[in-house]
Amino acid sequence: MTTPLSPLLNHRAVLAAAELRAPLAPGVPSAQPRLLSSARRAWRALAPRLVSWPFPLLVLLLWYLGCRFEWIAPQVLPSPATVWATLVDMFRSGDIWLHLQVSLVRVFAGFALGLAAGGALGIAMGLSPTFKDYVYPLFKAFSQVPVLGWLPLLMLLVGIDETLKIVLIAKAALVPVALNTYKGIQGVPTRYIEVARVLRFTRWQLLTKVVLPAAFAPIWNGVRYGFTHAWLALVVVELLASSEGIGYLIVYGRQLFQLDVVLAAVVVVGAVGFALDKALALIEVRLTRWRRAGF
Amino acid sequence: MEMERSMASNSTGTLEIRHLNKQYEVEGAPLKVLSDIKLRIAPGEFVSIVGSSGCGKSTLLRLIVGLEEDYQGELLLDGQRIAGTSLERGIVFQEHRLFPWLTVEDNIGLGLLNAPLTEGQKRFAVRDHIALVGLRGFEKALPHQLSGGMAQRVAIARALVNRPEILLLDEPFGALDAITRAHLQQELQRIWQAEGITTILVTHDVEEAVFLGDKVVVMAPRPGRIRRVLPVPLAHPRQRASLEFAAIKADVMSEFGSDAATDPAPQPALAAA
Amino acid sequence: MARPAPLAQRVPRPLRGWVLPLGLLLVWWTAFHFGWSTSPLLVSPTAVWERALRYTASGELREALGASLWRNLAGFAIGATGGLLFGAALGFSRRFERVVGPSFHTLKQISLFAWIPLISVWFGLGDAAKVAFLSLAAFFPVVLNTFEGIRSVPRELIEVARVLRLTRWQVLSRVALPSAAPSIFAGIHLALVYAWLATLGAEYLLVAGKGIGNTLIDGREHLQMDLVIFGVIVVGAVGFTLNWLATQIENRLLAWRGSTVAQF
Repeated sequence: MTTPLSPLLNHRAVLAAAELRAPLAPGVPSAQPRLLSSARRAWRALAPRLVSWPFPLLVLLLWYLGCRFEWIAPQVLPSPATVWATLVDMFRSGDIWLHLQVSLVRVFAGFALGLAAGGALGIAMGLSPTFKDYVYPLFKAFSQVPVLGWLPLLMLLVGIDETLKIVLIAKAALVPVALNTYKGIQGVPTRYIEVARVLRFTRWQLLTKVVLPAAFAPIWNGVRYGFTHAWLALVVVELLASSEGIGYLIVYGRQLFQLDVVLAAVVVVGAVGFALDKALALIEVRLTRWRRAGF
Repeated sequence: MEMERSMASNSTGTLEIRHLNKQYEVEGAPLKVLSDIKLRIAPGEFVSIVGSSGCGKSTLLRLIVGLEEDYQGELLLDGQRIAGTSLERGIVFQEHRLFPWLTVEDNIGLGLLNAPLTEGQKRFAVRDHIALVGLRGFEKALPHQLSGGMAQRVAIARALVNRPEILLLDEPFGALDAITRAHLQQELQRIWQAEGITTILVTHDVEEAVFLGDKVVVMAPRPGRIRRVLPVPLAHPRQRASLEFAAIKADVMSEFGSDAATDPAPQPALAAA
Repeated sequence: MARPAPLAQRVPRPLRGWVLPLGLLLVWWTAFHFGWSTSPLLVSPTAVWERALRYTASGELREALGASLWRNLAGFAIGATGGLLFGAALGFSRRFERVVGPSFHTLKQISLFAWIPLISVWFGLGDAAKVAFLSLAAFFPVVLNTFEGIRSVPRELIEVARVLRLTRWQVLSRVALPSAAPSIFAGIHLALVYAWLATLGAEYLLVAGKGIGNTLIDGREHLQMDLVIFGVIVVGAVGFTLNWLATQIENRLLAWRGSTVAQF
């Protein structure tokens, strides 16, 4: 059964005649240079790395010149040399370690608490639809209030000592961990669960051998996200209500208009935050490699 | 040679491949993917290319459509050297590659985006091609609402809406179930007969190759080369159960019986019948 | 012989979500009514309700919430627009990404609120500083998701565009952007969440001016638990509304996704 087609202009011929459009990918010449000198090959490998330096170095240079020629007042922006000196000084005098230690202990304690609570909540909601029916709406309502919304309330209830900070950090981590764990468990394909039923796994075996490994990726995502929030909460609470910790250092420098201290502390916050997140990423690689080797 | 070339350029949809070679560089050493391919495809012909994996058949198709551009030798469509993609050459991939955010008619219409036609003419062409592939009524459907077979039909319509000189299909039905595949093979044959367009089909399914092609080109791997070209002088519509069909199919299959790896030297490709 | 279902499962499904909140409310009211605690912090639920009415009637709610919301939206708009442009530039131009990318990724590591003291030096403590901070909060997630979305455009669809001879601009607008749309929207949604979080933080740390965060701080300083609880509810309600709006818009514009992951 053939369908008659309308006689259209051979529009492609028209196009070909008026071909002005440049091809999207330039054609590679059919004769390629045979041998690149080793120098050229080395340059090709290095260039992408090197090309990322000019921009920050330029900014650094402008910053330095700006302070040198006093285009910017030293209270607004101290010279990079001063910031560097302050950083070095902080490390040499050992001051920074004290503050770092306080901050790290806080964030780890809070994060561990939030992780445990969030994980338990997420697993319970994921495994038991009844539990989820009762708890999820309230949980969702609570999670609508950002961490900082709870701060004044918590301040009234527990004061401004360590408990406040740890509870706040825990809350910050709890919501993403619980949500992602719940969603991750929900997303485990039913076919795996059915295999476990046929093989008569106990509830515990089902959880540890089927559900958790299968849901690992979203759960770990939740863990990383939870840590980012925990770190965020730590910095805020130290900016607001603390007498030690790297967040406190920032405020301290600010009060005394010593911006070099502020900038140095900001650098430390960034570096530590980065290192911890990278550590989490590495752990993920470790755990999944082990799992993949098992297959 | 001159007369041959001028004759070829008068008839639309003639593909000439002469001494086509292609190689990749893998860790400094050259890897030959296609070796001295020679083939001539007449206008309106349907050519099936069969071969196991690694014989370069997909690479050959990508060179013809212009997605790969680095080659040695001659690759001519109507006497013009092929360089880059062109609306004169349409392709259907193994995945339907429809844009998920466009409806069926918008997906097909994408082929006409830069065509110097009025809106009305474009709409007409799209509607015509939807009818051609048997999807009337599905104009406003989104790709996620279509089955695999239907999506592939939309892809065929998109490739044809530009009235190309030559239609290329790279294992178009490989991802479909057997029943849909058989159905779409019939459809493709019907469409080809309606359009009369030069068509090259790459497949690893020998039965599909014999069912659809006027000739079957058998390729061997490492390096990719043409082993043999078999004509299929059967009338359309073809009967899969007929004796002649079975004989030709067996003939093609025999090419795969002898292990290609033990082949001492590439055989000279036979001239097209 | 069927056993009677456990109590927990006998409650009909749509009602289950109400059990805990209503239960907690009941415990709270009972605690106040029977004086389980003598702390001035224990206020009755009715006190919160009365405060809510008073605060709304006096126009204070409108003032505070209005100020917070307009700053939130202004910062979000600036940050999201900037983020889209910057993220698109990073996605489309490999050169740009190589030159500026690493610097951006380094700055992104710095926890958001650490920027506030610097911003307070450069912009003061008023609205300008807050909006600047909020723009920053919205900027980062939008850049990252836009960049990711554009880089993840499937090569298979780009090849179709090459075969169909689409111009460079058509590839950008008709292939790359729609393909990146889900990721971009995810970034914008995230930016909304972060912006609201940052709005509160900005009001705590840059104390000049009015806002719902300032209301909460005031309540805390004057030990007015009812005001604080009311404020928390308001903050949660706004958060919920913003979330809901974002999801509605997303679902409307990305309806083509269907229920399964997009396949081509």
